[in-house]
Amino acid sequence: MARIELVNLEKSFGAVKAVKDLTFTIEDGEFIVFVGPSGCGQTTTLRMIAGFEDPTSGEIRINGKVVNDLEPRDRGLGMVFQSHALFPHKNVAQNIEFGLRMKKVPAEERVRRVREVADMVRIGHLLDKMPSQCSGGESQRVALARTLVTNPSTFLLDEPLSSLDAKLRRELRAECDRLHQALKRTFIFVTHDQEEAMTLADRIVVMRNGEIVQVGSPMEIYSNPVNYFVADFFGSPSMNLVAGEIVQGTAGTRFRAPHFDIALPTRFGTAKPGAATLGIRPESVGVAIGAKGDIELPVRLVEPLGKDTLLYFDAGTERAFVAVTEGLSMAEIKVDERIPLTLDPLRIHLFESDGRRIDTGA
Amino acid sequence: MAVAAAPAAGLPPPPARVVSRRRAIRLFKISLLSPLIVMFALVLMPALLLQLYFSFHQWTVYLGTWWDAEFVGLDLFQEVLTDPRFGWAIVRSLLFATGSTIGCFVFGFLLAYLMYEPFRGNAVYYIIFILPMLTVPVVVAYTAEMMLYQSGPINDILSRLSGTEFKPAWLSDPNIALATVGLLEIWNWTPFSFIIMLAGLSAIPKEPIEAAEILGASKWRIFWEVQLPLLRPVILLALVLRFLEAMAEFPKTWALFQGGPGSATETLPIYIFMTTWQYFQISKGAAMSYIVMLMMIVIVLLAIRLLRREKQSLDKMYEQPSKAEG
Amino acid sequence: MAMTKSRRRRITMIIRYAVLSVWALIAFFPIYWIVSTSFKIDTQWFAWPPFYFPNPPTFSNYMNVWFGAEEYTSTQYAISSQKPLISLWNSTVIATCSTFLAVLFGSIIAYGVSRYRVLSDLRMFQLLMLRMIPPIVIVAPLSLYYTAVGLIDTRTGLILVYFLTTLPYAVWMTKSFIDEVPREVEQAAEILGASRWRTVFEIVLPLIRSGLVATFLFILILTWSEYLLALIITKTNVATLPIELSKYQGSTEGRVYGRQAALAVGITIPLMIVGVIIRKHLARGFSFGMVRR
Repeated sequence: MARIELVNLEKSFGAVKAVKDLTFTIEDGEFIVFVGPSGCGQTTTLRMIAGFEDPTSGEIRINGKVVNDLEPRDRGLGMVFQSHALFPHKNVAQNIEFGLRMKKVPAEERVRRVREVADMVRIGHLLDKMPSQCSGGESQRVALARTLVTNPSTFLLDEPLSSLDAKLRRELRAECDRLHQALKRTFIFVTHDQEEAMTLADRIVVMRNGEIVQVGSPMEIYSNPVNYFVADFFGSPSMNLVAGEIVQGTAGTRFRAPHFDIALPTRFGTAKPGAATLGIRPESVGVAIGAKGDIELPVRLVEPLGKDTLLYFDAGTERAFVAVTEGLSMAEIKVDERIPLTLDPLRIHLFESDGRRIDTGA
Repeated sequence: MAVAAAPAAGLPPPPARVVSRRRAIRLFKISLLSPLIVMFALVLMPALLLQLYFSFHQWTVYLGTWWDAEFVGLDLFQEVLTDPRFGWAIVRSLLFATGSTIGCFVFGFLLAYLMYEPFRGNAVYYIIFILPMLTVPVVVAYTAEMMLYQSGPINDILSRLSGTEFKPAWLSDPNIALATVGLLEIWNWTPFSFIIMLAGLSAIPKEPIEAAEILGASKWRIFWEVQLPLLRPVILLALVLRFLEAMAEFPKTWALFQGGPGSATETLPIYIFMTTWQYFQISKGAAMSYIVMLMMIVIVLLAIRLLRREKQSLDKMYEQPSKAEG
Repeated sequence: MAMTKSRRRRITMIIRYAVLSVWALIAFFPIYWIVSTSFKIDTQWFAWPPFYFPNPPTFSNYMNVWFGAEEYTSTQYAISSQKPLISLWNSTVIATCSTFLAVLFGSIIAYGVSRYRVLSDLRMFQLLMLRMIPPIVIVAPLSLYYTAVGLIDTRTGLILVYFLTTLPYAVWMTKSFIDEVPREVEQAAEILGASRWRTVFEIVLPLIRSGLVATFLFILILTWSEYLLALIITKTNVATLPIELSKYQGSTEGRVYGRQAALAVGITIPLMIVGVIIRKHLARGFSFGMVRR
């Protein structure tokens, strides 16, 4: 069992605060993903949990016990590194065996367990190879096996997939998922890839500039981002964000921007007038050819992807305004055609000028 | 599934002795350094203290036991500082070190500049060029003796090349003896300057040079405006190290000349050696050593400042765009 | 006619080869001379005009110097008191032991500097003082101290001094190799349960073994040819090869160039072999972090 608590955790490198007053609890058996743009404190947090960085202040507790001053090897953790960090002068079997040797496991049992774990991550055929003879994906599997064999209570994974190509990434992502389900251990996974976070996590911790921005299940994060940053960071294609202003008038609450003048749903009735940003995910934008839409925008680009078609509109903003439609039905649309669009009122988000979401109180 | 066979999860059984990480690290750091500390305390410190003792106590080998020597205060230092031979030794050492350093630098740089771009046969040249450095200094001295006698091969070759009788007395003319050692020093250690500067030149990235070429810069301008500034730390290093080593040069000078002819090659190391081991004026030697040591410490500290500044600016230049530490 | 690019390039090339070849001759001629002298018979050692080739070549100098074979009856050439083979053994023991110690402890210190900053940047440079201050200034009190503690004229005594004076180079050079070992590899070992010392000896040092070999050979060159310290600290029992060679100077009146040359070649050849083996690493030994790849 491993329940990891971070209490008022802080870490500074000189004048730079890498992690600021972080308080968070990771429940036993959870798959937690720390995510955010590179360099926003998630790796430092992980390395503090592992014991490679000493917190400047605050506590780390594992099962209620403060471990700040405990050697990494005594914390019962396993770690997989971005660079896989295999020992280049030892072959695969010796690499995997290393942790067992350190724990003084007898030779026979070591051989048996190395075999077992190697089969588990499907690298049984590589045992006699040197790390330099393994491909990137194979190396990462070896690294995984090396960690698995010591049977840690918690797996720390520091961007383990980011040096791999897209296909391998998907494959190993599935592997991680499978292992988590099978082992029922705590997994703490650090990444800057929102897609990885969405597919793997039980709970996502979004970090930015050393602070937690939002914690929640992938679904919560996706559909209820607390601010502009989270809204923009998650989802591919990303959320359409249009800067404009909220106007309270006789016609109710409205959002105005170049090309936009739409009535806002009644839940925004109390919103303060002034500058704001409207956000709506591409899949919540409806294409209403031949009907009356909320807005009407000229098409700039049509991107048929097979299962879906992406439509890029010119909304006078820096980024194109995107809509997703199912199938290829829209593939015939001509560029420059003005198309009426509907915005799903339940899926509209509004953000204040400082980025915070305008709460509806609902 | 195989996984199920794995033993139940949980923290490993609490380690028998949980060492405080902080204390363990401190202990580890100390033990990493301990060999240095031990060697310092057991070998260097006693010698330094003894030297300090001798430079304030008059003692020579025939004056009884050294620990009963008479305290003479600063007399020895006064004696040394008013000794004209000591002054000349300083002058000779500085002359020798400066001259040979410049010589090594000029030749080393020329060779390195001609060698840094790969061409046919450069590996062979490289091997030949480093051989002098790999010759034991005492051997250099004796080889010189075998070649430089007045009717020896060097004078023979020089006479043939110039077409006239050219027979300087390399080894017995007091006016050129020091220059002879200087030339030997240059022959012996040009490879050192060559190697450092070749490494420096080869390490300069190709892109800025190619970019400058495309912009129409001549080789000459590229050299002055791109290569030389980038090479500055390496050049400084070559000059500083060479100078310091030349100040300490002993084996060649001693094996060839023992300070002679006359006192033409009596550099600081030679004079200290003679005072101590030929005149057995241990105390005067110690005082002299002390002065030379202080002088060299000042020079070395200046050199270190220079080198450190260069290294820091290099570190800054090559700094990784701040690690993606999250 | 304007100079074409290829023409100019050819001229540059010719100049380059000319200059390099002249220097190659200058660098090589003395070495050639001592080797050829070592094969000359006694009448050709010191002659006018000089003999540029040994004619006929003879091995007698080598036989005489290294194995005490008495081919010359004249007492002038009989130098039986010298024992080059014993000196060879002394040199080998002293150079390898002191170098081994320097590399072993140097790499440990270098690890500490690289990972734990046990020595600051400034201290690292100050460490070089051990090497940069002329040894002559310390050698007299050191020899008295050695006499007092019984280390004078022993191999151990010389090994300890050599160890100390080459340590700065060992630290600097091995550090440049250790800096290239990724920290994550060490951390992986650490979290898998390895102690700090085990990480050093089982992960870090094996990873830089080729660098350690290069450092070892580099320092071997320094200790093998050292003269001053050996001259003073060893007297009668223990002489290293450079000392052995210099004994020829004082103990005989005549010029025994052939013998000296035979001994000198024997001393120098191992160094040249070592130097050529590690030629690519020589720059690293000297460059103290000033050359970046």
